[in-house]
Amino acid sequence: MTAYIVRRLFATLPVMAVVALFVFFLLRLAPGDPAAIIAGDDATSEAIAAVRAKLGLDRPLVEQFVVWLWALLQGDMGVSIFSNLPVTRLMAQRVEPTIALTLSTLFVAVSLAIPIGVVAAWKARKLVDRLVMGFAVLGFAMPVFVLAYVLIYFFAVQWQLLPVQGYQPLSAGLWPFAESLILPSVALGVTYMALIARITRASMLEVLQQDYIRTANAKGLATDRVLLLHALKNASVPIVTVIGIGIALLISGVVITETVFNIPGLGRLTVDAVLKRDYPIVQGLILVFAAAKVIVNLVIDISYAFLDPRIRY
Amino acid sequence: MSAILEVRDLHTQFNTLDGVVRAVDGVSFDVARGETLGIVGESGCGKSVTALSILRLIPPETGRIAQGSIRFEGNELTALSEEAMKSLRGHRISMIFQEPMTSLNPVLTVGTQIAENVVRHMGVPWSAARERAREMLDLVRIADAKRRLDEYPHQLSGGMRQRVMIAMALSCDPQVLIADEPTTALDVTIQAQILDLMIELKEKTGTAIVLITHDLGVVAETTERVVVMYAGRKVEEAPVEALFENPLHPYTRGLMRAIPRLDVEADAAGTRPRLQEIPGLVPILTRPIVGCAFAARCELATDRCRATPPPFVDAGGGHIVACWEVKL
Repeated sequence: MTAYIVRRLFATLPVMAVVALFVFFLLRLAPGDPAAIIAGDDATSEAIAAVRAKLGLDRPLVEQFVVWLWALLQGDMGVSIFSNLPVTRLMAQRVEPTIALTLSTLFVAVSLAIPIGVVAAWKARKLVDRLVMGFAVLGFAMPVFVLAYVLIYFFAVQWQLLPVQGYQPLSAGLWPFAESLILPSVALGVTYMALIARITRASMLEVLQQDYIRTANAKGLATDRVLLLHALKNASVPIVTVIGIGIALLISGVVITETVFNIPGLGRLTVDAVLKRDYPIVQGLILVFAAAKVIVNLVIDISYAFLDPRIRY
Repeated sequence: MSAILEVRDLHTQFNTLDGVVRAVDGVSFDVARGETLGIVGESGCGKSVTALSILRLIPPETGRIAQGSIRFEGNELTALSEEAMKSLRGHRISMIFQEPMTSLNPVLTVGTQIAENVVRHMGVPWSAARERAREMLDLVRIADAKRRLDEYPHQLSGGMRQRVMIAMALSCDPQVLIADEPTTALDVTIQAQILDLMIELKEKTGTAIVLITHDLGVVAETTERVVVMYAGRKVEEAPVEALFENPLHPYTRGLMRAIPRLDVEADAAGTRPRLQEIPGLVPILTRPIVGCAFAARCELATDRCRATPPPFVDAGGGHIVACWEVKL
C-alpha cells in the first residue's frame, strides 16, 4: 500500500512540470510584448523597457524559466499588475470561501446522491425509482444560474430565511458561515447530485445481479447490510471516480456561483483578473487549480486501493 | 426417520417475454434429519430453482412460488414473513452455490463474511464471531486459519473458496444445507476433497444435505436417496443403490447410459461401445405440458403417455417412479 501511494505521488510530478511549463509560456506566447501587456495600454516606451528589465524579460528564455521556477518553488508567484500585491497573498485572501463552497457543495451532492442512487437501484423500475430518477434528470438539466436565482427568489426574497448573497467567513461564527453557504451549495450541488445519483444507481444495479449478493441474501443478512456493505462497497469505484470528476468540474463551476452569490472567492478573483488581463494572477490561479485537480486525482486513485483490495497498480 | 423438510406439489414460475415458464411444476419430496438427498437432472430441469424456492430466494420481480407447500420442522415457509425467513436463512437452512469464484464478496475479508453470519444469527459480539470463523476454517481444513481470516477471496484458490463457503454455511449449525452444484466448477481432484469434506462434516454435525447436481457420479458417491427431475417434475425417487441397480424411468435409464464406463469390456479393436445420448431436446417450459414431460423423447411413449401425466408407481423399498410403461 505504501509503495503504491509513493508511486502515485511521484506520478504527479511530470503533470505538474507540464502545467508549470504551460503557465510560463502562457505569458511569453501571448500576442504582443508581455512587458507592454503588463505595463498597460497607456504606458510609455520607457515604462515598458523598465518593466522588461524588472521582470528579466530581456534575458534568454531558459534563464527566465529557471528564475521563474525557482521563485515559484519558494512560493513566489509574482506581483499583481494592478494592486502591486503579491499574487500568493491575493489568493490566500480568497481561498477560504472557495474551499468552503466546494466542500459544502460536495457534501450536499454526495450526501443526497448516494442514498438516492442506492434506493433507486434497490427499488429499480418501481415508482420510487422513477420519481427520484426523474428528479435527478431535472436537476441535471437545470442550469446553475437559473436554479440559483430561483432559490434566491424564494428562500431569500420571499420567505427571507437565508441571506440573498454574500459570504461570512468561519471567523464570523459557525451559523452565519453556514447560512451564507446553504443556497450556493444547493444551487451548485444539484447538478452533481444528479450525476452521482445516476452513476450510483447504475453501478448498484450491476452489483445487485452478482452471485455474492445472492450469497449475502442466502445468509439472511439485513437488507441495509446487503445494500450498504456488500453492494455499495463493490459499486464504489465508479461512484468515487465520478465524485472526483465532479470536484474537478466544481472548481470551474465555482466561478459562476461566486459571481451570482457575490462570494469573494478564487472564482471571482479569476473573473476580475481575466477581465483586467492581470497575467500574474491568472498564472497563479491556473497553477493552483491544476494542482488542486492533480491532488483530487491522487486522492481518488489512492481511495481505489482501499475500496477494492484487488486493485494494486 | 422423521422429515425435517417437506416439499409438496411445489410450482415455481417465472414471467418472461415468451410467457410464463413453469420451472418447477409440481415437485414433492422429503428430507429426513441428517440424511443426504440428491436432486439430479439436466441443466434447466428446475433443480436449482427448487433449491432457491425452499429459501424463498426467487427474485420477486420475475418469479414466484405459484402453488405448493414447503414445511420446515412443521412450519410453513411459504407463509412466513420476510423477516422470519431472513432469520432462518443461513441459520437453520443454509446454502452453498456452484461458483465459488463469484459467490464470495470480493471486497470483504473471508473472516468478515463468515463472522457476519454468526453475528447475525447467534447474537454474539464480533470478537466471538471471529473466533467461531477461525474454528470453522480449521474445521474445513484450511491451513493457517488465523491468517486466512484477513485475506480476500481473490487470494484463495477455487477449492479453498468453496471450503470457505462451506465454513460460512455451517457456521450457525444449520439443520439443512442445500448445496447447488458445489463441485461443478472445481478440478476433479478438488471435487472429491470437497465432497468428502461435506460428508464428513455432515456426520459430525448431523446437518441434512440436499445435494443438487447433474453428475450421477457425485450422486452415487455421496447421497443416500435420489430424486430425479425432468422438465420441472420429479420422475423417479429411490434409495441410491436401488436407483443405480434398477433405474426404472426411461429418462433415468437414458442418463445412466450416458455415463462413460470403464468396467465394460473393450472389443478386439480396442474400442468400447459408444455412449448413448438421449435423443431430442428438453421441452420448452412456456407451453403447458400435457401428459408425460418425457414422452417426446421416450422410445416407449404411447398415446396414453402423450395425453395423461403418469401417476407415481411404488416399486417397493421407497422406490417410486412416474411412468405408464414401467414393468414391475
